[in-house]
Parts: sequence; structure tokens; C-alpha cells
Amino acid sequence: MPYVIGIDLGTTNSALAYVALPAGDRTDAPNANMFAVPQLVNPSEVADETLLPSFLFVPGEKDFPPGATALPWNEHPDYVVGRLAQKRGSENTGRLVSSAKSWLSHSGVDRLSALLPWKAPDGVKKLSPVEASSQYLAHLRDAWNSRMPDAPFADQELLVTVPASFDAVARDLTQKAAEQAGYKNITLLEEPQAAFYAWIERHRDWRERVKLGDLILVVDIGGGTTDFTLIAVLERNGELVLERVAVGEHILLGGDNIDLALARTVGERIAAKGTRIDALQLQTLWANCRTAKEKLLDPDSKAKEVPVTILGKGSGLVGGAIKASLSRADLDAVLEGFFPAVASSDMPARARRVALQEIGLPYAADPAITRHLARFLSQEAAASEHAKQVRRGPSGLACPTHVLFNGGVLNSTFVRERLLSVLNTWLNAEGFQPIQSLSGEDLMHAVSRGAAYYGTARHGKGVRIRGGIPRTYYIGIESAMPAVPGMMAPLKALTVAGFGMEEGTDLRIPDREFGLIVGEPAEFRFFCSAVRKNDTPGAMIEDFGDDLEELAPMEVQLTGSGGIVPVSFETVVTETGVLQLWCVAQDGRRWKLEFNVRERVSS
Amino acid sequence: MSPELISDLGLAPKPAQPQKPAAPPPPVFKPADGALQILGILQRDSRIIDFLMEDITSYDDEQIGAAVRSMQSSARDALVRYISLAPVIDGVEGTFTKAPSADAAAVKFLGNVPATGATGGTLRHRGWRASSVSLPPLNPQQDNAIVAPAEIEVE
Repeated sequence: MPYVIGIDLGTTNSALAYVALPAGDRTDAPNANMFAVPQLVNPSEVADETLLPSFLFVPGEKDFPPGATALPWNEHPDYVVGRLAQKRGSENTGRLVSSAKSWLSHSGVDRLSALLPWKAPDGVKKLSPVEASSQYLAHLRDAWNSRMPDAPFADQELLVTVPASFDAVARDLTQKAAEQAGYKNITLLEEPQAAFYAWIERHRDWRERVKLGDLILVVDIGGGTTDFTLIAVLERNGELVLERVAVGEHILLGGDNIDLALARTVGERIAAKGTRIDALQLQTLWANCRTAKEKLLDPDSKAKEVPVTILGKGSGLVGGAIKASLSRADLDAVLEGFFPAVASSDMPARARRVALQEIGLPYAADPAITRHLARFLSQEAAASEHAKQVRRGPSGLACPTHVLFNGGVLNSTFVRERLLSVLNTWLNAEGFQPIQSLSGEDLMHAVSRGAAYYGTARHGKGVRIRGGIPRTYYIGIESAMPAVPGMMAPLKALTVAGFGMEEGTDLRIPDREFGLIVGEPAEFRFFCSAVRKNDTPGAMIEDFGDDLEELAPMEVQLTGSGGIVPVSFETVVTETGVLQLWCVAQDGRRWKLEFNVRERVSS
Repeated sequence: MSPELISDLGLAPKPAQPQKPAAPPPPVFKPADGALQILGILQRDSRIIDFLMEDITSYDDEQIGAAVRSMQSSARDALVRYISLAPVIDGVEGTFTKAPSADAAAVKFLGNVPATGATGGTLRHRGWRASSVSLPPLNPQQDNAIVAPAEIEVE
């Protein structure tokens, strides 16, 4: 039986869900199942867990007893992936790869070069963010094949999710990682959309729950990232359809930040008593605080505080124990920092521009998620022709009618209620009714379930959200001007793909031809904008201020020798959701522009 | 000397050599291997051996309580992960109960037991039965006598 497989390649956890494609003419899609992923959970112990922690450990010869890392499908794996990698990695961080996905979307580094583990000592084999992601995907493939020998992975239809905020380069690299892992037939899908599909999967009567003109805000707060999306309910040919009208920026902020903040709070209290804790003990405290946080956030819990005792390091377990506890007041204070009640005009602090900055992940400068949400609704969801159906208040703020929560952090009632009350204050100020919460379930697995459901929707067995690309893309063109010392030639931007350009469509940029020299690489600067939604393909933008964000350059080399070939640009958004640019000569020959992620140095 | 001092002075024992000469196939396990394995698991997940082997006479109850609270919950998690425990008699302690079997290993009679034996009485302890055991397979290349490896931190 053919399956549709949905894969949530997460920053801290990955998951796989699958749907058996019904034969014949059934019009509804069957339910999605979670796949329990066999993985090493301890040395010499393989067990099934519904999540595959997105951690990779590069084992040295002495890290595990011989044979202790054997998997049912591979006796001598090069890397340890999953729960055991996470456990062992906390003791030996120099060999641990974590947050590979955040590195994949980080334009400040060469993402194809072997740079992870980031702080590995000399002599440890390093991987590129693409290779690391590929290892997680390969583990899921092998796990599937070992459990479902009658349905080879390569023959199934695959959906891999990416954050809506991933730009064209990060999507291209995700696709490369999947191809390296031997994936065929893959389609990329945005995570907040997948979360919404999971809601539809659970509520087949969704047409009765939302109506024409409704605007649904998806808030997805995972372990490492926060993602916002707006979906509008529209009508086409007399039927309700869904259209994704805005996506937010990539925000490196999530549940892990909250747990670390809790550990720091408790750690400072311990330090104030004169006890020093080292890095390993902070790791333990971090993990203990995560468990304690979950206990305190349990709606049935009445506990005022939960112990987070750090046991003695050596065999002096009781003697060396450092007594500590996490109180409800600590938790409230930390959550207040992440989810303050702010006005909708309250924007997040921008990163300070420091000339010499340590290279590393570009974590969000402002931890207040509510402020990031305010920016999303007031700026990124800004008025545009494309999104004229977006309901707005007098101040221009996009005012959603419904909200769908996703991600582990939103398992917390406190966090959900705080977000609802903040949103309602904003809506009230704009003169609107309170927002309605769409009850999401299974917030840890919804993305992969929804992806699998979407796969069936593509077969006409369910509803499909129209979206297209979530940004406008540009090629940079230097103005032809006399050079002036000390001044860069002014840059103009040629729009090559408009916001919302749909999957499976292509277009030719009119009236622009470039002469490319055959046999030499030609490089183009490449830009995008999530804010400028009204630029149409072919439009030349002269004065764009801070609106455009530069991505990795694109390059093309025309094969052959001699001469200059006049070419024009053609933009293609593939069925799988990947943006491609082509140079097309008058005689019909075509060359694809490839991202050059190697050359860009951190700016 | 305290363990910290020993470790600070660099006197900690060398890590156990995990490698043994290549084990001849098929692996032969000794009866004690299973017991050592469960000890190893409990130590790894809850550090119960450290606790049992430690001299706790000089610590006050509060210090011991803080350590035990943390250890007990992880020890229970480890235990139920590998061994499903169920009562032998699923009754209410303190009420009259008939013995479900005459097996002396399953039911123990206490008090004024008649010479001919008894068939019932007041349930004092429900007993425990391991209804299923799912321990991971033993690694034939590993020395099971190492219940916990020594740890050396490189700073």
C-alpha cells in the first residue's frame, strides 16, 4: 500500500507521521499515524520514541564500548543520532551537533562547509549543517525501512516541513540535505501551514468552524524557534479556500531559552549562597528546571515549588548534593520576561551593531515573544494588494479572528492565556471582538501529522492552503554610473518573483536582457523582502532603504566558448515549493542559477 | 579523604578498560549478568549505588531528603521502564482476602496459622510480581562487572 510520509525536521526534535493512501475514489483522507522511531537511547539499547531528538554525536574511539552504538540496520554507524546523542553530548559538548537547522538558515557562515560541532576540538570530524540535517533524515529513512520492509521509503511520497520564515537559500539547502539522504519525490511544506492541516485533519467540519473573511494567526513556538503565519479564509468558485497571506521573520527564540533562563535564575541563587556550580552541573540544572517547569505548568499542579536538587558529582551523592528548588514565582518572573503584556506598537529591540561580533547563531536580541508578535502583525503583515482580505484596525494592525497554537511551549496554559489576553487587548483597542482559539491537540506532533495529511490533500483527498512563496525576490543590478571614490555604485533591484507566486508556475521577466560571457561564471546579488509585497516581476526598485535583505549570491556559467549571449530571466516555483531562476537565451537554451553559499563571508 | 579531594589530587582510579579480547561467538552469558545489568541501569539513571554505598550518618535529614527525593523519582522511572510490576493480590490491604494459590512463593501466611494451613486472612501486603521484563540485549563485547564507569573530566 502506498503511503504519504510527513517529516518534521525540527531544531530540537524531529518526527515522522504517515497516512496510508486509500485506494479508489474515497474523497476524504484517512487519519495520520505517528511513527515510533527506533533509536539508541542508551549505549547498547535501541528503543522506540515518537520523537527523534535532532542531535548528532561524533563518537571518538573511546566514547562508547565497542558495539554499543550498533543499530538494527547498521552495526557500525559513523554517528550517533537521537536520544543517546543528546545524553552523551551533554557530557562531551565538543562532539555534539545541535540546532543544525538554525545553522542551515544562518547566512553569516558557509553552510556547505564542515563547521559543526561548532566548538569541536582539533581532530574531531566535522560536518556541514546540510550534512547534519541529512543524517537525521537518513536515520528516519533507515528506521522506516527496518520497520516497514514492504513499503520501501524511496517509493513513498515525502513531505518535509520547513519554517515559513526560511528563505529560498535555506529551502534549497533543506532540499539538498534530503537528496543527500537519498530522498526522492519530496515536497517542502511550511510548518505553520502543516500545523493548520493537522487541525483540519482533526476537524473535518472546519468549514463550519471558520467563515469567509476570517483571518487565522498560527503561533508556533518550538524548542529553538518562533514562527508566525497568517492564513485568510477566502471564497473561490463558491467554495471556501484558505490562503496564506503573511509569514514572519526567522526568530531564534524558543522553549530552550526559557529553560536556560530558569536555570540561570536558580543558579544565581545557588551562587549567592557561596556554592560554585560548573558547566556540567549547569547542564543538570537546565534539565532539572525543564522537568520542574513542566510540573509547575501542569494545570492540576498546586505545588508552590519543585525541587531541582543537583546531586553530588562523585560517589558522594548525598554529601555533595546542592539543594535548590524552582518556585512558581521564579517561573512567573521568567515567563513574564518572555511574554510581557505589551502594546501592539511595542517593537522588539534590534540587535546592537557591534563591529566585532562573535560568529555564532544569530539569536534574537529581544526575548519578548509578544513584542515579536506585535511587529509581525503591524509590519510584516502590512497592507498589500495581495492580502487585501486581511482584516485591519484603524492603526493598520492586522487583526486575526482566530488563533492556532503549536509547539511544545504552548502546552502551557499560562502561556496560551497570556498570548490570548495580549491579543485581545490589541483587538479591543482596534474595536474588534476577542479572538477565538482553535483548539490544537498534540502540539509536539502536529507538524508531521499535518504534513502527511497535506500529502493526501495533493491527491484531491482534502483541502489545500494556497500560499505560494512567502517573499518577494530580487536580483541586484549595479547602476551604470561614473565611479566615485569611497562610494559604492548605487544598487538597483530587479523584481524576479512576486510575493505569493504559486507552486508549479513560471514566468519570464519582460524587457530585461543581460549579456553573459560564455565560459565565465556570472554572479548576481540576490535579495528578498517579506515586507514589500506589491512589487511585480520586472519592476526595478531604486530606493529600497532597509526593506531588502541580501541572501547568498547566485551564479551561472554558460558552457561553451567565446562570445556574449543575451539572456533573459525566467522564474520557476517548482511543484515542490523550491524557487529557481533560469537564464534563457533567445534560441531557447536554458541555464539554471545556483546559490553560491560558499563565498559569502559574515557581514 | 573526600571523593572530591581524591579527584582534585588526580588520584581517581583509571577508567576501566571496556575492551576485552574479542568475544568468541556465540556469546555466553553468566547468570549474574542480568543482575549486574539491572544494577548498572539503576546506577546510570538514578545513581542508587552511590547512595547505598555512601556513609550518610553525618548528614542531616534535610540534606538526605533533598537527595533522596530526586533519586527516588529517577529510580522509579528507570525501574518501570524495564520491568512492569503488578501486585500478586490486587486487593485492599487490611481487608479479608482469600489466597489465590497455595504456592508458598506467591503467598506467605503470618500470625496464628493453623497446622493444616490456611486459605485466607487479612491482606497485609499485596506483594509484587514482575509481570513483564524488557531489558535490552547484553552487549557481548562489554564487561558486565563494570556497573558504572569511572568518570574523568578534562578541564
